[in-house]
Amino acid sequence: MTNPEMDAQVHFTDIKKHFNSYTLTSRMNWVLATYEGIALMILYFKLRSTKAPTVKAT
Amino acid sequence: MNENLFASFAAPSMMGLPIVVLIVMFPSVLFPTPSRLINNRLISIQQWLIQLTSKQMLAIHNQKGRTWALMLMSLILFIGSTNLLGLLPHSFTPTTQLSMNLGMAIPLWAGTVITGFRYKTKVSLAHFLPQGTPLPLIPMLVVIETISLLIQPMALAVRLTANITAGHLLIHLIGGATLALINISVTTAFITFIILILLTILEFAVALIQAYVFTLLVSLYLHDNT
Repeated sequence: MTNPEMDAQVHFTDIKKHFNSYTLTSRMNWVLATYEGIALMILYFKLRSTKAPTVKAT
Repeated sequence: MNENLFASFAAPSMMGLPIVVLIVMFPSVLFPTPSRLINNRLISIQQWLIQLTSKQMLAIHNQKGRTWALMLMSLILFIGSTNLLGLLPHSFTPTTQLSMNLGMAIPLWAGTVITGFRYKTKVSLAHFLPQGTPLPLIPMLVVIETISLLIQPMALAVRLTANITAGHLLIHLIGGATLALINISVTTAFITFIILILLTILEFAVALIQAYVFTLLVSLYLHDNT
């Protein structure tokens, strides 16, 4: 379960300071990053399908 | 036979007019408004029951959660009384309709989730990732937790619908079997009748338990978000 005291106890450096699975803020960051990643993937595949070249009639 | 089995779940109408609204409103008639400091026996018993239930249910909640007391008590009274009235022969049970249960589950669940996101955004978002999750599992777990959150109102509604519908169907089937067996074998018909009585007692319990489970789960979702 959530433990707000963990935020003061753990000391991460670099990117792990904002993206670890212990502190509240970093868990939120991971969740938001996952949602953004999924949104980007959907956008990419949608744009790719609209840009697909039409088949020429022979 | 098939048509008769599901005929009791069809929306009732009288002379072409739908009376389902009247049926849904009827249980409120059984709970008179207390008009005196010391009321009659019926109201006193109902007040005692409501106090007993609300004390137990609201014990886990903080000040914010307790603002939902009226909503939760109305919910359990409505579902409990509707389920019990549905056990009367030839009556229509609104809680067998998925539309009705979705109409209860989705707004209540959405209310708790929106409350959580509005007042505790960081904690609500962080809930989607359990603490201490290994790095490779994080994206998958976020997706799984999101799906499990979105499934909650569906599960609430379908649980109530399925339990009440299944119970009524069983009573209908076993009752029909008892009647059919009377001409064939009285002993077997008697045994089936005993099973029917036991099933009816079970359905009384299920009616109350399902009302309690529905309300308790809404209360737990609220507790997670307040």
